[in-house]
Amino acid sequence: MQEIALILSYIVIAYMLFSSLSYLGLFALAYGKVKKENKLDKRESTEDFLRNQSTYPVSILVPAYNEEVGVVSTVRSLLALEYPEKEIIVIDDGSKDSTSLRMIEEFKMKKIPFAVRTHIETAEIEAIYQSSIFPYIRLIKKANGGKADALNAGVNLSSFPYFCAIDGDSILENDGLLKCMKPIIESDGQIIVTGGSVRIANGSTISRSKVELIGLPKSPIVLMQIVEYFRAFLIGRLALSHLNILLIVSGAFGVFNKERVIQAGGYNKNTVGEDMELVVRLHRLLREEKSKQRIEYIPDPVCWTEAPESLEVLRSQRIRWQRGLLETLWNHRKMMLNPRYGSIGLFSMPYFLFVELLGAVFEFIGYFIIFGGFFFSLVDPQVAGVMFLVTVFYGSLISALAVLLEELTLHKYPKVSHLMRLYFWALTEAFWYRPLMVLWRVKGIFATFQKKAHWGDMKRKGIST
Amino acid sequence: MNLSHFWILIISLFFGQLLLLLTLAWRKQQSNKREATIDHQYSALADSFSSYMMDPSDERFIQELKASPYQLIVLERLLNHYVSVTKAGADSPAVSRLSEEFLSERYMKLLKRGNWAMRMNTLYFIEDFRMESLVPQLKEKLAKSSKLDQETQQLIRTLASLNETVAIEALAKYLDAPARLYIDVFKRLDELTKLDELDAALKDENTNQTLKHSAVSYIGMAGMTLFLPRVEEELQHPEMEMRIQALKAILHLQYMNSPSALAPFFESTAWPERMFAAQIAGKLQLSRYKETLGELLGDPVWWVRHSSAEALTQFSEGDIVLTHLAESHPDRYARDMANQWKTSLLGSEQ
Repeated sequence: MQEIALILSYIVIAYMLFSSLSYLGLFALAYGKVKKENKLDKRESTEDFLRNQSTYPVSILVPAYNEEVGVVSTVRSLLALEYPEKEIIVIDDGSKDSTSLRMIEEFKMKKIPFAVRTHIETAEIEAIYQSSIFPYIRLIKKANGGKADALNAGVNLSSFPYFCAIDGDSILENDGLLKCMKPIIESDGQIIVTGGSVRIANGSTISRSKVELIGLPKSPIVLMQIVEYFRAFLIGRLALSHLNILLIVSGAFGVFNKERVIQAGGYNKNTVGEDMELVVRLHRLLREEKSKQRIEYIPDPVCWTEAPESLEVLRSQRIRWQRGLLETLWNHRKMMLNPRYGSIGLFSMPYFLFVELLGAVFEFIGYFIIFGGFFFSLVDPQVAGVMFLVTVFYGSLISALAVLLEELTLHKYPKVSHLMRLYFWALTEAFWYRPLMVLWRVKGIFATFQKKAHWGDMKRKGIST
Repeated sequence: MNLSHFWILIISLFFGQLLLLLTLAWRKQQSNKREATIDHQYSALADSFSSYMMDPSDERFIQELKASPYQLIVLERLLNHYVSVTKAGADSPAVSRLSEEFLSERYMKLLKRGNWAMRMNTLYFIEDFRMESLVPQLKEKLAKSSKLDQETQQLIRTLASLNETVAIEALAKYLDAPARLYIDVFKRLDELTKLDELDAALKDENTNQTLKHSAVSYIGMAGMTLFLPRVEEELQHPEMEMRIQALKAILHLQYMNSPSALAPFFESTAWPERMFAAQIAGKLQLSRYKETLGELLGDPVWWVRHSSAEALTQFSEGDIVLTHLAESHPDRYARDMANQWKTSLLGSEQ
């Protein structure tokens, strides 16, 4: 028994060291890119597109399920977006609350007949409404079919060549859409998807659907999620995008080439990770066609979202994410280690399998060995000690480094105290937050075999103040 | 490796990070302090700057600016704000004078030695402030560039804003130069130069088709009816892309000397040609094509059906025609489309 535990310990230590080093490698890649554009005057670099008639028009899709608290402020923030030509389509996916009613009342919407092109099959469309104040705001009321189905309905109704999918509780930066469309326009369509950094709005002052003052929340759970977002967006996604092997564009905000999405078959209704699954399918399509088109991520924060404040909601969110990841990897297992799919098959898919998915399993075993070693002499306490230090390195120091990278490059949090608080909370990660995440992520793997796709059950408080 | 090695690794990493944290915290504090001072000076100089812009003989602003420790940054922000909020800001002689006097030396250095982001910002500001004295440096830089990357693209735009036709010549060097860049250049040239360059581009029958497409496209966007006969000639062009650009331009210009030239496009095998023909018939209210539009409502392509229905709404009795078609058109999709448009004149934010 002790021998098995010892072998396991060495595997887990080697794994964690390897993962940490891969993070440091991604750090190095991400740093150069962020640093290069850090001092660029963002206003100057996008203002030309604002007046330019060649800027592609965009359809903004807002899928909503029981979003009566946030949907109006989201649409209001979209109205304030600086963009030459856009339409806003809210898709009420059979909400049980007053999501549609809030939209109809607020924007004085009227039912209209509409000849929808059915590019992708969806659940029944019950009615389509149009605002009499802003004719470019529409609402689709449809039978419940899940988030992917709602997005597909939005794609069917949209009139423009690009669409932007955002969550019903997101607040976009005024120039967020321009920033995301800039690489698409500049590449003359060679970039087919862009995603931007999503930031957590809890703790910031939001008025009239705009983030007025960036601040930090009091809740340690939310603070840790902020650190986690730095780690995921600033390091992982940026570096992977740099190599054109980014597999995730956040469901909270992403811009897509509609024709390509339709070609790929739209969003997959049978997974909870529809955002990642679509991106993987698009990569697959591009590789199979030997196309040079790309998927890109921009480091600028373009979208603010409400993070869960309770452990219960966070747990359900993380289980859903992990489940989505596993479903996507399973659905596209053909690409795994397949040279036909280039760096996606040979690097990105294995990276997501071993680091993002199975990482939780390795870490879980690690925590087990640490306890077993210190309290039940399962392994040599010396080995348990090494494991503990590696866990701290992997869990806390890498996250603390992500905070420092944010400050070194984007430095969006204005006060010195913000930096200090984020850094010190990041250091505590390995001792409380990470074990919880590990546990839920392992649960998420098992959940894949249990339930069918459904909307997340986030309890909104609303982020406007 | 034993435990002590790991301890050393973790502790040194921790202290390394702590050092970095303290450095970043100190840097943040300094930069916050600096920003606050710049903001304060910006506000303090705003009044005298406004007076100077209205009456350049008022020297108070120049004296105050010279006394400011952050004079270049403050001036850059004041000028940038001024040109972005005033219509004629970019062409203001006072903006050029101030920027040439205070900023040209700094920009000259930045163009040569600054990092990528700083060079890009400098190019934007040279364009915004119309700093003609820097044209030789910009031309020299353009001559050295061999790739149409973001920096070269902005360099070309900046030169165009200073009315330098070398921008078009430089673009012609790159076979893959996109139409949007040519359009950006046309947009920036002054009126007389623009007319000459558009005229030359339309005459260009030899090689550069992108240049010609862009010229036709720009004429439409800018509403330059002077070129309408030339654009109409392009409707006969053997290349489809050119015909489509000409149709688009006519749609923007909202006028046609010979509407009969549109007739063949309703029967084109290319759906974009049918779509634009339908849109033009609607926009110009060419009632001779009303019946054709009714037929196109049953086109196999959704966009053609959509454009035909939209076109019918432009006619005074369009709702009656659409109501009739919504009931009697033999095609089911045509009836749906007519039904949609008869109820509401849909649009998007323009």
